[in-house]
Amino acid sequence: MDEHGRTRRDFLKVGLVTAAAAALGPGVIKPVGLWAAEPQIKGPIKVGYQAVLSGTLAGYGEFHKMGAVMAVEEINAAGGIGGAKLEMEIRDSTLAAPASIQNARYFVDSWGADFLAGVDSSGQALALAPVVGQLDRILMVTHAATEKLTEDEVFKKGIKQVFRICTPTYQDGNAAAFVAKDLPAKTWATISPKYEYGYTCWNMFKDTLGKLKSGIQFTAESWAPFGTTDFRPHINTIMDANPEGLYSTEWAGELITMMKQAKQAGMFEKIKHVMLPVGAAMDVLEGLGSEMPDNIWISGRYFFLYPDSPQNKDWVARFQKRWNHFPAYVSETGYSTMFAFKKAVEAAGSKETAKVIQALEGMELDSPAGHRVFRKEDHQAMYDVPWGLTKADPKYPFKIMGKQVVIPAKECFNRPPFEGEGTKPPFKS
Amino acid sequence: MLQSLVHVCLAGISAGMFIWLVASGLTLVFGVLRVLNFAHGSFYMLGAYVCLTVLKAMGGNFWIGLVLGPLVVCVVGYFMERFLLRYVYHLELPYQLLLTFAMVLIFDDAVKMIWGAGSASSPAVPGLSGSLSIVGRQFPVYNLFIIAVGPLVAVGLYALLEKTWWGRIIRAAASDREMASAIGVKVPTMFTAVFVFGAWLSAMGGALAVPYVGLLTTGMGEAIIIEAFVVVVIGGLGSLKGAFFVSLIIGLLSSFGTRFIPMLDMFLVFILMAVVLLWRPQGLFAEG
Repeated sequence: MDEHGRTRRDFLKVGLVTAAAAALGPGVIKPVGLWAAEPQIKGPIKVGYQAVLSGTLAGYGEFHKMGAVMAVEEINAAGGIGGAKLEMEIRDSTLAAPASIQNARYFVDSWGADFLAGVDSSGQALALAPVVGQLDRILMVTHAATEKLTEDEVFKKGIKQVFRICTPTYQDGNAAAFVAKDLPAKTWATISPKYEYGYTCWNMFKDTLGKLKSGIQFTAESWAPFGTTDFRPHINTIMDANPEGLYSTEWAGELITMMKQAKQAGMFEKIKHVMLPVGAAMDVLEGLGSEMPDNIWISGRYFFLYPDSPQNKDWVARFQKRWNHFPAYVSETGYSTMFAFKKAVEAAGSKETAKVIQALEGMELDSPAGHRVFRKEDHQAMYDVPWGLTKADPKYPFKIMGKQVVIPAKECFNRPPFEGEGTKPPFKS
Repeated sequence: MLQSLVHVCLAGISAGMFIWLVASGLTLVFGVLRVLNFAHGSFYMLGAYVCLTVLKAMGGNFWIGLVLGPLVVCVVGYFMERFLLRYVYHLELPYQLLLTFAMVLIFDDAVKMIWGAGSASSPAVPGLSGSLSIVGRQFPVYNLFIIAVGPLVAVGLYALLEKTWWGRIIRAAASDREMASAIGVKVPTMFTAVFVFGAWLSAMGGALAVPYVGLLTTGMGEAIIIEAFVVVVIGGLGSLKGAFFVSLIIGLLSSFGTRFIPMLDMFLVFILMAVVLLWRPQGLFAEG
């Protein structure tokens, strides 16, 4: 008998039960009470997650939640993080910066969060960066895409608590330009959101495409305010300019509405090359169904049919079984975030912020979206997401991403140290 | 250039007609009941969701959805007036706003619970889903239908209020509640009827928006109620004529703004409101 009042045989049993639990998979059996292994890390480990759960984009929050909740269930069923239980609370970020700060403060000061995650809008992410610096808690951003978050806040200002697991605007702007350079279109126009995200992506697309190919003209821009339900005036602007290519970072419901109204106006008969950086989001594909035209270029932060790996296929199947939905990209980033925390905490042997930051820097993570590496310099997760052309598939009630082109992240994400030669796309010379 | 102008006009008019359907009910209810109903936009949302549900249950028949959706919302409106609003008529405006704003939050959450938080996409209307070529550019037939419905509703409302016995009673009660009551008008019953009718108008707007916007979201009522408020304020609180013309003006203003002065497109409407409030604070078409 040792000091905990357990025999050696008990320890053996614990080992066997834990091994059996791991072998049998989640939910079948888990060690409890006397049988539970002594945790290496003082638990529980608490993650405060925030996403938009109200208003027109509430559906995104639900998809964040599905991914994150599923990860918590799986991690706990398999023994938690280093033996400690993983706990999560989700709050509505409402898309407003003040609310996201209140949430972060509540999570850390009142609820006792060890980690923070989520965040949809770029404005919120930028506002939160200095706050999580003060609170000294790691924030894993799962949706907001502004490159300024990792470049300015992390790399330049040194706020090491911020990490991002989703692709940044480079996938939307630079990667799109790499695809567009091989298309015959010489004149491009845009209908995009009238805020930071829309402007940033369009400028990046113009800049990179202009450098990659000569003789390209950008002929019209129409900026749709948040909440636009009638895109007809914007469509008129584009039709008047009569470009060969249309690039649009409209997303979620507004993209669905725009596509339907553009189709009614006969725009896709006039404009043959259409690029939608967030068109591969599940809400858009399912929302448009067969109304999504064929041969539209789409991408996203993750698409459930890529990569064609056993891990991804298995995850998509488990997700469908658990939620009766195909995973949205925020489901994947929410899910993988929990596993990134697990891996980093276990590697650090602690949940202390400074030690986990060290573990996360340069950490590799095999996730449904593929192999991710958290770049040390700016804490951006590097992983590849394809661009592809929409096509019908009898297996799905919506259009899927057909012919796929992968622009590797390292070729289109600005490289550290972000200054001087060779740090701005196009990198290939 | 002609092509562009014609299409910018058409887009503006059809957008204006949606605002009109919502603004008409809002201004009517204010004119008679003296209640500014924040939850009026929620009727728009509910009308759209119920219409979509009926439409899907009926194998895609939009017209049944268009008739039944707003009727279901009338029942909701009845309960709201009969059991909640009735108790705040005599209170000050802030109490009314608090109550109706609380209803907005309740309706939003109810929609989220019943239909889910994700957006719901709607199918096209058979028979009205095509497009017509107008001066060489496609314009959806459905939008032309909307352009026809708006003025029809306006004429119908005018006839109802000005030419019928019911209309005279409503106008009498609007101008003097106590006197109307003294000569035997059942004012509470009439208030309920007017409120339910206002809810029906808004829900009609919502049901008609189903194929037009192509997408329903829990926040859709809040977006339109702000525009409707702007219309009602500029047009003159309680003025139906004002609501109709200002809806048209605002639809056209934002269409032209987006196309020709994109820097100011969100701003133009509010410039108009500021100018009107400075120059004619009672609104453009207010009586007296």
